[in-house]
Formats: sequence, structure tokens, C-alpha cells
Amino acid sequence: MKHIFCNTGYFFREVRTLFRMNWVSNILTLISTGLIFFLLAMVISGWWISDSVMESVRGEAEMSVYYDERLEDDGVMQLVERIKEIEGVQGAHVISADEAYDRMVDILGKDARVLEYFDDNPFGAFVEVRISLDKVQPIMEVLRRTEGVADIRDNREVLERLHQIAEILSVLGYLIIAAVGISTLVILSHIIRQGIYHNREQIHTLRLLGAPEAFIAFPFLMAGLLLTLLGGGVAAALAAYTLKFIYGQMAGPLPFIPLPPIGAVIQSMATLMLPLSAALGIAGSLFGLMSERRF
Amino acid sequence: MIKAKGVCLKYPDGTPALNNINLSVEPGELVYVTGPSGSGKTSLLKLFMGVEYPTEGSLEILGQQIAKVHEKEIRQLRMKLGPVFQEFRLIKGRTVMENVMLGMRFLNASPSRLKEDAGVALTKVGLAHKALSLVENLSWGECQRVAIARAVARKPELILADEPTGNLDKDNALNILELLTSFKDNKTAVVITTHATHLIEGQKDCTLIRVDGGSISRERTGGA
Repeated sequence: MKHIFCNTGYFFREVRTLFRMNWVSNILTLISTGLIFFLLAMVISGWWISDSVMESVRGEAEMSVYYDERLEDDGVMQLVERIKEIEGVQGAHVISADEAYDRMVDILGKDARVLEYFDDNPFGAFVEVRISLDKVQPIMEVLRRTEGVADIRDNREVLERLHQIAEILSVLGYLIIAAVGISTLVILSHIIRQGIYHNREQIHTLRLLGAPEAFIAFPFLMAGLLLTLLGGGVAAALAAYTLKFIYGQMAGPLPFIPLPPIGAVIQSMATLMLPLSAALGIAGSLFGLMSERRF
Repeated sequence: MIKAKGVCLKYPDGTPALNNINLSVEPGELVYVTGPSGSGKTSLLKLFMGVEYPTEGSLEILGQQIAKVHEKEIRQLRMKLGPVFQEFRLIKGRTVMENVMLGMRFLNASPSRLKEDAGVALTKVGLAHKALSLVENLSWGECQRVAIARAVARKPELILADEPTGNLDKDNALNILELLTSFKDNKTAVVITTHATHLIEGQKDCTLIRVDGGSISRERTGGA
């Protein structure tokens, strides 16, 4: 290994020569790996964001319990206390008809004018129940049997759909990671093989002079590593810019979606992309070198 | 240094290249291998470099058996050789100094030592002033000198030069031969192949090996 450390400067010069001698091919490789890594970065970020949104939504899972209008205030308070005792219920409180109206005004925004067409408040009072998402079914069963409960509305369908989307994204994420990994390996090993082919005379001369295989291979490994690291860096920068843009676009029309902090997403994505691209670069270079041992 | 007993070489397609070669080369010996083109001179040198393996017989170079099973050891053996190739095999896009240093980079010498040894070798071949020139800007004779400098800078025990005078005019060819023979000493043997027998006529204190039709004849010339 001593000759590897002693020749660091030489290896860097060789890498520069390898890039210079085959620069068109290397730039195309850089662009392809950068785009592939960009795709990977976006899928992984999307996956994280959807997971985070799901977690937030899970934490805010609610049911609306409408009670019998004939119940007096004392009866309503007793009902609220009984609901709080049900296993899986995290909290319950009464939302008056006026509060329900105000909430709808907030949700509808400019379109809230439509509510002016009603002579009376169309909304009734209800009990807002915060629950654990995994206990929806047993809570529903207890509530249905509870005296004074007239109707129950839950957003289970929406939550289940979100959950399904997150699962699909998760599967897609795994598939894309596998596809990107294989593509990067193939592209890199191909470019390394090309580099070896272009330098076959030099490699043969080095072998005739007795150079160890590790000494011959090292510049090619370094070239592969640098190419993918650069590709990973470009992809991370591009993905960071795109995520910021998407966040900016979503902030206006969809303010209620609880997105995770953009800084944390970008930092996690960059922290993953750089080591991942380096690992794929080394693996691709080794694969290329092993498949071209005849030169 | 070189011990060959009944060595035969056949190429994979069955073409016989060398037949029943018996010879030995001792330290400090100067050996000229001559013969017409296609006679087997280069094949003999390929065997000495461990590029080809004998298909029959036994060949030992610097104590190392040359056989397919010893591939790893043969790679290490090559570090002790000073090969000068017929087509130079210099690395384009690199300077003269880089090319000479390249032959030593994996011999575990320090970077300052590499530069020093390369500089000494270039001075010996008269090309110190062209150390920073790119090899593609050199003349044929200069390229040959760089190839020799690369071989001798490694301080080899055995210098193997394959047709080093090919494509050179007579004066340049004689200079190259003189240069190569000057590296022979008590420890270092020099083996040179050439088809230009007129260049070695009258050479003293050397061994002449004539290769023809895959067989060899050996002749020793007297000292000066």
C-alpha cells in the first residue's frame, strides 16, 4: 500500500489526464449520473415528506360526535366525560355551532360568502374527539352504543387513502433506489471500461514493468469516485433548489399541509446522497475494472 | 541470471516459435541475440520478461521459474528487470521525466528519490535538458533514449532490450548500442536483440546468440 500513498499526486494527475482524454464521454456520464441521482434525491425527499405528513395527520386524527339536540348542557358535559374515558381517546371538547361556523369561514376563505345565503347558522354543535388512529374501530363501536350520541363523522377514509399513498411512495422509493443503483453501476462500469480500453497500451506497459494491479487500477477508481461524487453533488444542489421551489408553490394554496422543515429535508437528503453516490462510484468502478481484466 | 533447459514455445494456434533452447546468462554478461526477422528473437525476449511461458522445458530468470502457475511472482520479477521495448512503449501526454519516473513509482521509493534517480538516468542518456518535454515531441532516437532511461533508472539486475536500433540510422543505432552496453556491470547483465548484425560486428567481450528457425547457436567473443 505504500506506493499508493507515495503517489497521491501522480494519481490525481492521472485522473485529470483520464478526464481530459475522454472529456465528452465524461461530461455525458456526469450529466447522466447527475440526473439519475436527482431523480433518486426527489423520490427519497418525497418519501420522507409524505411520511412526515402522515405522522402529523395521524397525531391530529379526530372524530366529530354529534349529540342528541334534546340534551341539556349538563347532559352534554356528562357525555364529554364518558367519551374521554374510552380507551384510545386523547381528548374531547364541545365545539359550539358558532365556533363550527367560524371554522368553516376560515376554511372557505374568499368563498365563505356562500354562507351568507343561509338565514340561520347551518352548522350544529358537536363534540370534537382526538383519537389514536389505530383505535378508530373500537372507539366507533363504543360511541355507537353510547347514549345521547346521534351521529359520528370521522375522516378515516381520507386517512386511509393518505396511508395508502405513503405506502405506494415507499414501494416506489425502494424500486427507484434499486433502479438508480443498477443504472449507476452499469453507466459507471461502462465508462470505466471505456477508460481502460482507451488506456490499454499504458496499462499493458505498466504490467510489463511489473506494476501491481492496485497501482494500475487506482486512478480509474478515483475517476469513478470523483464522477459519481460530482454527479451526487450536482443532483443534491438541483434537488435542494427544486424542493425549495415546490415548498414555495405549496405554501400559498395548501397552507394546511403540515410539511416538515425544508432545511431538515435538504440536509438529510444531501447527507444521504453524497455517501451513496461515493459508494456507487466505487462499486461501479470495481465492477468495470473486474470486467476488463484482460487489458 | 537466465537458465533455459530444453525450452520450447508454441503459440496457442500451434505455431512453433522456439525449439529446444538451452542457454545461460551470468551476471555482468553482455548478450546479443541476432537473427533475421521472424526468427524468434522477440519470442525469446518475451519468455525472459515472463510475457510468454515455455510450453516445454524449464526457464529460470533471476531465480524465478517462468510458468503460468507463478504469474504473481513473475509480476514481482518484472520489477527487477529493465525492459526496453521495440516500440518504446512510452506514455503519451506525459513528459520525459514522468515517463522515466513511471517505471519506478511502484518500487516503494520516496518521491524525492524518484526524481533524483530519474534525473541521473536522463543525464546518462543525454536527455536531461528535455526532461520536461512531452514524449510525442521527441525524435525516434530520443524516444529510444527515454525508454532506456526508464529501464536503467530502476537499477535492474537484467536489462532486456528488444530491437533497440530498429528504425534508427547507423550512427544513432551505434550510439544506442554503446549506451546500452555501458550499463553492463558486475551485477547487471544486458541482453539485446537485433537483426542488424552489421552493427555488432567486431564487438568484444560479449556473447552472440543466433536464433534461426526457432533454434539457437551460441558464440563467445574474446575480451578487448
